[in-house]
Amino acid sequence: MAGKVALEVKNVSKRFPGTLAVDNVSVEFHQGEVHALMGENGAGKSTLMKMIAGSYNDYTGDILIDGEEKLLHTPSISKKNGIGMIYQELSLARPISIAENILVGRLPVKYGVVLDKNKMIKEAKKCLATVKLESLDPEKNISEISQHQAQLVEIAKVMGNNPNILVFDEPTSALSREEVEMLFNIITDLKNKGMAIIYISHHIPEIFRIADRVTVMRDGKKIDTRSIDDVKPEELVQMMVGKTIDKFYSKRKGKIGDTYLEVQDLTRYGFVHNISFKARKGEILGFMGLSGAGRTELARCIVGIDPIDKGKVIKDGEDVTPKNYDDGINKGFAYLSEDRKSQGLFLRLTNEENILSALIPEYSRSGIYKKSNAGNIVMEQIEKLKVSPPNPKVGVGSLSGGNQQKILLGKWLATEPDVLILDEPTRGVDVGAKQVIHDVVTQLADNGTTVLLMTSDLPELVGLSDRAYVIRGGHMIGEIGKEKLTEETALLAANGEGSVCDVC
Amino acid sequence: MGKGVYAMSAKDNTVLVKSRFNDVDDKNGISKLFDKAGVYVIALLLIILGIIVSPTKFLTPDNMLNILRAVGMLGITACGLSFVIYSSQMADMSVPSAMAFSGIITVQFLHFGLVPALILGIMFGMLIGLVNGIVVGYFRANAILWTLAMQFGMEGIMRYVWSGNQLYPDLEPGTSGAAFVNIFRMKVGPVPLLIIVMIVLYIIANIVMKKTKFGNQLKLVGSAYDVAKCTGINVRRTVLYAFLISSFTASVAGIFITSMNKLGVFYLGEGYDFKSVTAIVIGGMALSGGRGNIWGVLGGVLVMGLLNNILTFIGIPTAVQNVFVGLVFIAVVALHTYKLRKVGKDYA
Repeated sequence: MAGKVALEVKNVSKRFPGTLAVDNVSVEFHQGEVHALMGENGAGKSTLMKMIAGSYNDYTGDILIDGEEKLLHTPSISKKNGIGMIYQELSLARPISIAENILVGRLPVKYGVVLDKNKMIKEAKKCLATVKLESLDPEKNISEISQHQAQLVEIAKVMGNNPNILVFDEPTSALSREEVEMLFNIITDLKNKGMAIIYISHHIPEIFRIADRVTVMRDGKKIDTRSIDDVKPEELVQMMVGKTIDKFYSKRKGKIGDTYLEVQDLTRYGFVHNISFKARKGEILGFMGLSGAGRTELARCIVGIDPIDKGKVIKDGEDVTPKNYDDGINKGFAYLSEDRKSQGLFLRLTNEENILSALIPEYSRSGIYKKSNAGNIVMEQIEKLKVSPPNPKVGVGSLSGGNQQKILLGKWLATEPDVLILDEPTRGVDVGAKQVIHDVVTQLADNGTTVLLMTSDLPELVGLSDRAYVIRGGHMIGEIGKEKLTEETALLAANGEGSVCDVC
Repeated sequence: MGKGVYAMSAKDNTVLVKSRFNDVDDKNGISKLFDKAGVYVIALLLIILGIIVSPTKFLTPDNMLNILRAVGMLGITACGLSFVIYSSQMADMSVPSAMAFSGIITVQFLHFGLVPALILGIMFGMLIGLVNGIVVGYFRANAILWTLAMQFGMEGIMRYVWSGNQLYPDLEPGTSGAAFVNIFRMKVGPVPLLIIVMIVLYIIANIVMKKTKFGNQLKLVGSAYDVAKCTGINVRRTVLYAFLISSFTASVAGIFITSMNKLGVFYLGEGYDFKSVTAIVIGGMALSGGRGNIWGVLGGVLVMGLLNNILTFIGIPTAVQNVFVGLVFIAVVALHTYKLRKVGKDYA
C-alpha cells in the first residue's frame, strides 16, 4: 500500500527555554498514506509539525524530503519543498472572495498591473475542483460560505501550491458528522493520488477510520509507530498516557457527605441539554469531555453567568438557581474561569485588588466599601497558595503564569464558596504551581466544599476526582465511579467508546 | 504549542519579578516626584511661568480667583465626565447638550419657583445620561459614536422645540428669574458660589470613586470589562451610573452657564466636551480606563485655567488659545502612551 518515503525526520530536537519540546524524534512518512500523529496536549506534535512547516530555524537533526536533506528554516522554503499545512484556525480573509483567498500572493495580472479576473476565476475553479467544490462560485466572499466549505477552500488554497506532503492539524473539530465524512472522502482521494498525509487528532475513532499508520508522542518523545491494523484503541490510549506517578496525588482524607448540590434538567439551547447530576458535600466531581463538549458552558449556566432556558440548581435542598452571577456568588457559588487573561484576572491591577475583586459587595455596607473589613484575607491567600513574590501590592500582570493562576484561585477561595467550579485550573502552569493548586483543592474538599472539576488534563482528572461524569456534544453521556476511573477509561468515554461508563 | 513555553522554574520567575521591581525603584528622584504629584508639578511650573510673565498682576488673590472662576464650569463637567472615562467608555460627547438642555428647562419652568425649576432642569439633563447609559451600558453601543449622535440629535430637538430662540428669564427684582441669574454671581465671603460647588463636587466624587462599592467596582469594569463580568459585577448598571453622573454634573454646570449668560439656548455648552476630556487626560486619568484619580482631574482643570490665564497675559487671543489646548492634549496623550509602553503596561 505505502509508496516510497516522502518525508523523513531523523533525530530531530527542538528546545524551548526550560524544556525539550521535541526530543530526538525520527519518523518516516510515506507517499499514498495517511499517517496519524497522536499525543496529549503538550506532547510535542504541534512543535514537530511547525518544524516541518519551517517555523523554526534552530532545530537540530535532519529533515529529508524524497531522500534529500533539506534545511527548512523558513515557511517559504517548506512551501517550495512541497509541504502544505492546514491549520485548525482558518487563515482565510473573510471579507474578500474565495478566488482572491485561494490565489493570494500569486494573483494573475495582465498588462503588468491589471488584475486578470477571468484567469483568476479559472485558476480558482481548478483549485476548488481538487476538493470537489466545482459548484461553488469563486466570486463569493468567504463570509458567505459555511465553516465546512471554508475549511475545504483552505485545503484548495494549499493545494494550489502543488504540495506532496499535506499536514492536517485537528481539521474536524468544528465540523458536523456528515461534513467529517465528506472531508475524509477528499483526504482518501488525495491519498490515492499519491500524496503523503499527516493527520493530527485527539479523536480516536477518526484515527481508525482514516489513518494507515499512527505515531504516538509523549513528553516530546516518540513512543512508537504502528500500523493501524495491529493496534487497539486501548493500546493507543495507554501509549499516549503512559505510566503516571501515583505519589503525585495525595490520598484524600476527608469524608464525603450526603448529596449537597443537585442540578436538574439544565438546558441552554444550543450549548447544554437536559443535564442532571448530583454532587455530595466535600466531593471532587470530575467532568470529562473533549474541548467543545460543553463543560465551560455548563459551568457558566450553573453559576448564572449565562442565562438558562430551563432547569434548576438545588443546593442543600433549596432551589438556588441563580438569576445572574452576582446572585450566584451570593448563594455560595464560584467559578474559576478557563481563560485567566481575558476572563479571570485584572492584569493591570495588583494582587490585593484581584483577590478582593469579588468581595466588594461582601464588605460594603449601604454602598460604602470598607477594605479594612477584609482584614488579613489577602495575605492568607497569598501564603496559603505560596505566591511568589508574596507581595500584595505587586501588579498581577508581572507574575508568571503559575503565580497568576494561584492569584485567580485565591480570588475565588476568598469568597469562601460552598460549591467551587474549576475550569482548567492548571492549564499552562508549571509543575510546582500545579502541585500547590492540587493540594489546596484537595484540602478544600476535605473541609467540606463541593468541587466540580472540569479539566482536559487526564492525570489531574483521575488523580483528584472522586467520581466523574462524561459530557459530549452538550449532553451528559454517563458516569464513571472512582474504582473504574483511570486515564484510559476517561479518554475512551470522552471519545464515545461507551461501554466503560454507566449510562445515566 | 510545546510545554516549554510555559514551564518556567519558580526561581527564574522570582529573578524576573525582582528585576522588574528594581526597574521601578531605580527611577531618579525627580521622575518619582513627577509620578506621584504629576499634574500639580506642571501647575507649579505654570505658576512660576506666570510670575515671570507678569510679576505684579499674576500672583494676586484677585487673579487666582479669576482663574478658578474661569475654570469652575469646566471643573464641574470634568468631574462627572471622569467617571465615564474611568469606566473605559472613552468619553461622553453629549455633555454640551446636557448643559444647554438643563439650562433651557430651568428657564422654561422658572414660574414654578427657583428650586423646582432647578430640580426639573437637572432631571431633564440627566435624562440624556439615562439614555446614554442604557444604550451604551445595556446595548453595548460604541460610547463615542452614540454620545456624538445624542449630542447632534439633542441639539436638533432643542432648536426645533424652541424654534432656535434664546430663552430669557424674567429679570424683575424679586422674581425667581432674578434669583436664577444671581446664582452665578453669588459669593460666600470673597469666594464665588461656583467655586464652592465645584470643590464640594470634587470631595463627593473622590468619596464615591474611592470609598463606595460602586466606585471600586467601576475601577474593575474600567480595568477589564469581561473580567469584571466574570467576577459577578453588574457591568451594565455600573456603566449606566457612570453616564448618569456625567449628565448630572453637566446639568449643574449648565445651570451656572445659563445663569451667567442670562439666557438659555442650545449652543451654550459648546466646547465643554473636548475641554473636559483634555483636563481629565492632563490630570493623569487614562483613556483606557481604571487608572488615575479625581484630584488629578482637578489638577488638570487648574492647569487648563493657568494656561489660558498666562496666554491672556501674554496677549494671545482666545481663538488661538484653543489651538494651544489642542496641542497640549496631543502632547499629553502621546507622553502618556509612551510612558505606559515603556514600562510594558499597555495591556489591551
